[in-house]
Amino acid sequence: MRPLLGLVLITFRELWARKIVLGLFIISSLVLLAVTFALNLDVVEGSLAGIRLFGQEATPEDMATEDGPPLTLDRLVIAVESVVAGVAYWIGILLALFASASLFPDLQSDGRVELLLSKPVGRVQALCGHVLGVWSAVAVLTLYLMGGVWIIMSLKTGVWNPRFLLSLLIVVGMFAVMYAAVTLMGVWTESTALGLIVSYGLIFVSMVLAAADQISPTLGAVGRPVFWGLYHTLPNFTEVTKIVSTLAKGNTVSSWYPFFSSLLFGGAAYGVTGYWFAQRDF
Amino acid sequence: MSALSVSSLSKTYRTGVLRQSTVRALDGVSLEVEEGAIFGLLGPNGAGKTTLVKILLGLVHPTSGTARLFNQPAGAPAARRRIGFVPENHRFPGFFTAVQTLHAYGRLADVPRATRKERIPLLLDRLDLDGRGDSKVKTFSKGMLQRLGLAQALLNEPDLLFLDEPTGGVDPVGRRAIRDIVVELRDEGKTIFLNSHLLSEVEKVCSQIAILRDGSLVRRGSVEELTAVERVYDLVATPLPDALQSDPDLPLEPAPNGTPTDPALQQYRVRADDRATLNAVLDRLRGADVEIESITPLRQSLEDYFIDVVDTPSSS
Repeated sequence: MRPLLGLVLITFRELWARKIVLGLFIISSLVLLAVTFALNLDVVEGSLAGIRLFGQEATPEDMATEDGPPLTLDRLVIAVESVVAGVAYWIGILLALFASASLFPDLQSDGRVELLLSKPVGRVQALCGHVLGVWSAVAVLTLYLMGGVWIIMSLKTGVWNPRFLLSLLIVVGMFAVMYAAVTLMGVWTESTALGLIVSYGLIFVSMVLAAADQISPTLGAVGRPVFWGLYHTLPNFTEVTKIVSTLAKGNTVSSWYPFFSSLLFGGAAYGVTGYWFAQRDF
Repeated sequence: MSALSVSSLSKTYRTGVLRQSTVRALDGVSLEVEEGAIFGLLGPNGAGKTTLVKILLGLVHPTSGTARLFNQPAGAPAARRRIGFVPENHRFPGFFTAVQTLHAYGRLADVPRATRKERIPLLLDRLDLDGRGDSKVKTFSKGMLQRLGLAQALLNEPDLLFLDEPTGGVDPVGRRAIRDIVVELRDEGKTIFLNSHLLSEVEKVCSQIAILRDGSLVRRGSVEELTAVERVYDLVATPLPDALQSDPDLPLEPAPNGTPTDPALQQYRVRADDRATLNAVLDRLRGADVEIESITPLRQSLEDYFIDVVDTPSSS
């Protein structure tokens, strides 16, 4: 257990030593400061009476959509949390992949891998320690941003939206899925660039797969099953955005399929990575 | 008891996109290293030294044959509990300090925190890194990195230490310091497996050596045995009478560059084809009242011996 924990800590520290992660931490801190100090809410008897954002004042009626009802506290909380969840999901994951993509190839490089594998650590255990280290670093960063926003908004407004916290888990889970592609390419090619290309490529492909219902009828007899095969096999990164958004709004998710099928992809990719890592010569 | 043993060990690497090309790195190597020895593994580049070490550490899987450390299969985590390893050109995360590095790698070696806190200052002191414990590793010189590598390898108090080119790129003072530590460790009863190109270093510290060539073990023995020149001896004695010196049948001549410390003595070189000839020479000297101080087999340097072995077209 101690060697596993040791590897988690080394990886965690290594990721936090990256400037891009430090940058994400600073940006998250600025967001939290903005939500804390720049967004001032005037709440009277549980209702939103006024908003001041960076010194600009507005009433709930000013913030209403055309012909829509005035902005309520609930809708304001949901709006802020949805924006944060969306940004954390898309920009956060893309940047976290960028920051972490070189870690696994670097771990396998000459001079590093010998030091690691000469210790009483099994190879699968070593991979698990590395992956847990990356996951935990990203989880801490996500918790800091999303958990911070959730607490600040809830304390300011008295509106507590616990489903938003589930979206936090989805963000970390989908990062883990996409990182599986990075590790798989890492163990195969030891290439950071290829790991990034494949993981970003999968995200791009998921944008096409998200329109499966519209695209599928236009395909031929061969193309249609291939397309649906890809839909069910590859991570549905874009479709999971709907789940994050739904949870951030405090609603019930109608279908978890895109998320769970993505988890299956991640599990399979980590399995192949583990097998390959155990079999490789270094 | 042997600290490590390999038997009929072979390794063939497959390369190419379709893994169609093969490179035979080791070919049926068998050897044992006894506990408490300093064992030197020698060979030209591409001889298979690194592959052999990597198989013993579990970094490379053998194609056939067996490798064992302390009677456990090499590569099993349990076997690695008793070893330390200093790879050539090892790389530590640069953002760690020396103390943090030792804690991190000590944790990987399953050394409890209390033990680490006790041993780390001692090791830093022993390896002349005291006062640099809080310096970032990225500021370390090559020699300091080598000593830090040695410290991490010693943290779990290993019984067997693998050193891969431990003095590579280190200045003479640093080389001497590392060599002294290796000898100290041997005196503490540790087994040391040294992989080095610096033959003068190997000659100074190793009790046993093996030479690999083209993946095969071509020589194995003690440094003294292997570097002894067959049937040639250095003899130190009182000066020979003129009659003996001019005797063409006596296989003896003044030793080149041989000057004994005692001015009353002379050094000669004896070439005797067999034991009887050697004894006959000694009998004739004694019969002429020559006093013999010493007679020792002539040794060549390990470097000369190594070059002879690896340059021979078909040595066996």
